Order: sequence, then structure tokens, then C-alpha cells
Amino acid sequence: MSGENATFFSGASKYVLDEELAKIVNISMALEMPLLLKGEPGTGKTMLAHAIAESLSMPLLVLNVKSSLKLVEALYQYDTLTRLNDSRFGDSTRDVSNIEEYIRMGKIGQAFVSEIKTVLLIDEIDKADTDFQDDMLDVLDQMEFDIIEIDKTMKARTRPVIIITSNAKKDLSDPFLGRCNFHHIAFPDQDMMRRILNVHFPSVDQELLEICVRTFYKIREFQGIEKRPATRELINWVRALRADPDFRPKDLIQGKIPFLGILFKKSTDYHQATLQSKRLRI
Amino acid sequence: MFVDFFYILRDSGIPVSPTSFLRLHKALAEGLVSNLDDFYIAARTLLVKSERFFDLYDRVFAHYFRGAELPDFKGMELEAAARELLNEWLQNPEALANALGMSKKELQSLSPEELLKYFMDRLKEQTEAHHGGSKWIGTGGFSPVGHSGYHPGGMRVGGVSRNKSAVKVAMDRRYKDYSVEAPLTQAQMGEALKRLRRMVPEGPRDNVNVDETIRATTRNAGEIEIVFDRSLRDRLKIILMVDNGGWSMDPYIQLVQTLFNYARAQFKDIKFFYFHNTIYDYVWEDPPRRFKPQRVEEFSTWDKDTRLIIVGDASMAPYELMATDGSIHIEERSGLPSIDRLHMLADIFSHSAWLNPTPRRIWPMTRTIGVIASIFPMFELTLDGLEQAVTSLMSKN
Repeated sequence: MSGENATFFSGASKYVLDEELAKIVNISMALEMPLLLKGEPGTGKTMLAHAIAESLSMPLLVLNVKSSLKLVEALYQYDTLTRLNDSRFGDSTRDVSNIEEYIRMGKIGQAFVSEIKTVLLIDEIDKADTDFQDDMLDVLDQMEFDIIEIDKTMKARTRPVIIITSNAKKDLSDPFLGRCNFHHIAFPDQDMMRRILNVHFPSVDQELLEICVRTFYKIREFQGIEKRPATRELINWVRALRADPDFRPKDLIQGKIPFLGILFKKSTDYHQATLQSKRLRI
Repeated sequence: MFVDFFYILRDSGIPVSPTSFLRLHKALAEGLVSNLDDFYIAARTLLVKSERFFDLYDRVFAHYFRGAELPDFKGMELEAAARELLNEWLQNPEALANALGMSKKELQSLSPEELLKYFMDRLKEQTEAHHGGSKWIGTGGFSPVGHSGYHPGGMRVGGVSRNKSAVKVAMDRRYKDYSVEAPLTQAQMGEALKRLRRMVPEGPRDNVNVDETIRATTRNAGEIEIVFDRSLRDRLKIILMVDNGGWSMDPYIQLVQTLFNYARAQFKDIKFFYFHNTIYDYVWEDPPRRFKPQRVEEFSTWDKDTRLIIVGDASMAPYELMATDGSIHIEERSGLPSIDRLHMLADIFSHSAWLNPTPRRIWPMTRTIGVIASIFPMFELTLDGLEQAVTSLMSKN
């Protein structure tokens, strides 16, 4: 990251960024629009937000979307129980008659009240229902929300950099898409994967790396697998292989694949992979 | 600037909105785009909102800026339809060999591409709807490719359903219309989802009810009394079996799956299985019905409280349902007719429902629908039908 332009994103220490994505991130930041990222798990959607926060040295706020999440919880929470408790026992320093003292900001609220610009990652938006999605974008569009308990409008001091990720095969609703920029991160090809591994293992033996990557892409083509291994699994797998003193890269060529359990985490997948790996020749 | 580019994108079927086009201009005005590569990326991220259109976008872009030949959109769609058709067809190579009037050996020497080309050539030569004759694809003729051809059994390209011939689907793209006419469409997804939301049994009491708590506390002379409500906790497990065998079901498969995938979070567990027409010895976890078979008997060890939902048109030749060897799959030869399997499933699971995308008014015309409806409570795949199905699935007994 060069010091000259502090609002220009060009990659971070552990994140290999392709040029195209860098441009998309920069355009989204310039237009102040949320960036919606899709792509299969393990393509670095979530990591991108971390990388942006790191390289622009902005605080990162992560809103992990759950199906039960209500929009208001992402904005603020009114802690009624504490207030009730305080009013009964009166042993806290808070002023019970001042409701504002019992309002806690949610992740979006925190991004709004923050003094400095933040990166707001809204992870796995597809888990929430469509109402949540649309309402949330309304709030992000207008950059303000009301706290009804104290009748106060919270206005954002700075517009956060918003990254939204989705795993859904199905598209999100049209109004939602209309307000976002969109990018689909493809699964990295072999060259990209080598670069990613080199970043994570700077001193790795190139021969080992080569054979691991080739094996990995063969393994990903196994039939009948529910959850195919992604970048994260590969990195852990290479880490395990390097830690194992008995491991010889030649074993992989002969189709002996150690630590399959790191790559396949579902028991049926593991079983399938064990069967199919016996027939594998690199 | 680039207005015609915008319109070519629109015409090619990419849903681009004027707002996003204006946004692209804003990006241009602000100097965010300095060369053609930048423009390519900026326009795509701003205008194209689904990766499914990326390829099309690339082709339009190449045409507009590099003078490449514009893809023939109609042709592409046709090709896709034909390819799908053939895939369907290829699962049944023997019938295919019969239909083409060649031996299985000859057929095996043809690559899928050659086959597809043959099929496409036939389609291209044919300029008008055709019924009868010996060369073209149509209905009732002698052509090797087509529906109800010379084969005594009335061999069809597409599958089993009546009234919808293979070529009509490929040429007129009729099944596109079917998705419009379909009782339940993507647009109604939200509404349908609300119906499904009712499939939530009561959870533990762990939600604080503030109003009640205050009331109880005042009644208690200020001694705090916290009142809890039941949180809506899902404990339901769902098995969804989808008929993905024939053309007639195609418009609905995706729909039903998306519907339940969206609702997935509110169920404890939801499992998808696939079958063709009706259920024999196996159902499959993978849509091609090849890799992950699941024996129907084994469902008897599953939780009896699991809700079984079957989606299918329940329309088939009666022997497929009643005969001991009704299955078209050679490996399914247990000697039990499908109807026994269905009875077994209905006995295993206390709550089950069959959702049928065909409208209720034509149900009496197909015998097998009546038979199956006597085994499973059958509902239309409409909003109302879904509501009734949910009520029936949630009933106490």
C-alpha cells in the first residue's frame, strides 16, 4: 500500500488480489455503493473485507447475518432487562430515567456513529429473508435510522465501505441488486492458487507446492461430493503435509493422499473421496 | 454515450436498469474509468447483477467494441434447449438407438457433439411446424428424431408426458410460457414463503415479554417477575422428494428448491431427493440420479415425525405405478410395484403431502393422479394449495 493515496485499495499482506477485483472495489468506494460479492465458499469473499480494512487501516465491523436476525437488532438494541434491574435495585451509575443509556448500537449502528470511516462487512446476506435485505438497503441508502424508544434519528457521520457477501445460488431481489454493485468471484485457477499458497507459505518447496496444487484440483473433480474443498482446506492441508515428517511428495503421485479428513469434512464426502482417491493418479 | 450499448445489452436479455446506466455515467464523469479495460469492468459491475449473464455480457461487449459477430440470441437459446433435451435423452441410450433407427453400436460411435449437431441440423432445416413425413422432426412422422415417431410405443425425445412434443418445446420454447402460466411463479416466492413460515412448532420459553413482565412486576408490588414467551423454534425435519424426470416438471423443480432453500433456516433439517415419475426401490440425493442412491426401505429408520413432501405431476402410464416391474430403470427389480412403495412411505411418515403443479381441474383426467391422491393428501402447487398443505402437515394427528 503506497502512502500517497490512502483511499485507494491495492491489496493486503495475506490477500492475493486480482486486478479486476481491485478496480471494482475502487469504483464501488468512489461511487459510495455497497459491493455485493458472490461466489462459491472459499473464494475469499469475506477475506476481501478484512483485506480492505487492513490496507486502508479502517476498523472492520462484521455483521454475521442469521436467519433469525431482525433489522433493528443490526441497528440498535434497547436493553430492557438491565433497565428493569437498575430500577429495582438502583445500584448502577446509569440514570434509569434516561433510556438512551440503555440503547446499545448494533453493527450497522456502530458503523454509523463511528468517528472515522469504517469497513462494514455484511456476511452471508442470503441467510436473511428478503424483507430484511430490502429494509437494510433502505437504511444504508439513506444513511440514517430512527430509534423509536427515544425518538431520535441517528445519522451516519461517515459513509462506511460496505461489502456484502452471498452464497446463494439464486439471485437476490431486484431492488436489492439495483442498489449494489455486483461481482462474482470465480474459484481461483491453478496459477492464482500457486500465488495464494506462496503468500501463505513464503518458504515453501516449489516442487511440493506444484504437486499439491495439481492433486488438489484433481480431488476437486471427485464425483458425488457435497462440499468440495476450497482454498481454506488446501492451505490447512499443505500446512499439515509440511508438518508431517513422514510425508514424501512422491506419495501424492501414486495416489496416496494423507489427511483426506482435512479436505473433506462430511463423513459421506470423506468416504466417497477415500474410495475415489484409490484410483487417482497424478 | 454508449446508449446503443445499453440497448444491445437489454435486447440480448440482460436485465439492465436505467438507474444503473446513469450510475455508469456518473463513474465516467468522475474519471473513474480511464481506458477500455476499466470500462469493461465498471460497466459489468454496475450493470450486470448476476454471474449468469457474464458470458452474454462478454459477447455483447466484444461485438460492440471489437466488432465481433453478435451472438444469435435466439439460436443460443435454441441450442441450450436442444442440449438439455439431448441430455435428458441420453440417459436412455437404448431408446435413443431405437429412435434413431440404428444399432446401439453405431450410436456409441457417435460423439455427443455429433449427435447434437445431427439434431440441430434437423431443427435448422425445418422451417415450419411439421406433422408426419419421414425426415423432419415433428409429431407422428417417421423421423428418427422427434415425438411419437415410427416406434410403436410412441417414442418421444423428451420423456413421458403427453401433449408436449419434444420439438415443440425446442422450437416454440413453449416451456418458457409454462413458467408464466405456472400456478406458482418466482414472483410469488415471497408470498409462498410466508405460507411456509407457518411450519414452525413452538420452542422453549426464552423470549422476554416486556409488557407482561412490567404488568406482572407491578402486580407483584415491584418485585421483579420476568415473563417469558415461547420463542418460535423450529424442530421440524423435512424430506422433499422432487420428480425431476420429465419435461413437464422442469419449470417447477428450480422453483420448489429455491422455495425450500430459502425456508431452510427455519427447519431443523431438510433433505432433497429426486426420482423419476414415481418412486421404486431408490430415490437419489443427486439430481442426475446416479451417484447417491437412497434405499426407500431405509426411511423406516428415520424420524417418524419428519414431514414428507413430494412434488410431482403424478402423471404416468398406469403400469408404471401398478406393475411389479414398472420401473424404466433396469436395476430396480425388487418385484414391488411403485404403489406399494408409496404406501410404505405414507405409513412411515405420519405427516406427508403431495404437491402437484398441474391444475386440480384436470386431475380427474389422469388415472394415476387419483390413485396417488388416495395415498397421499394431494394439493395444487399454488399459494392456496401450499397453505392447505402446510395446515395438513402441521395438524396434530
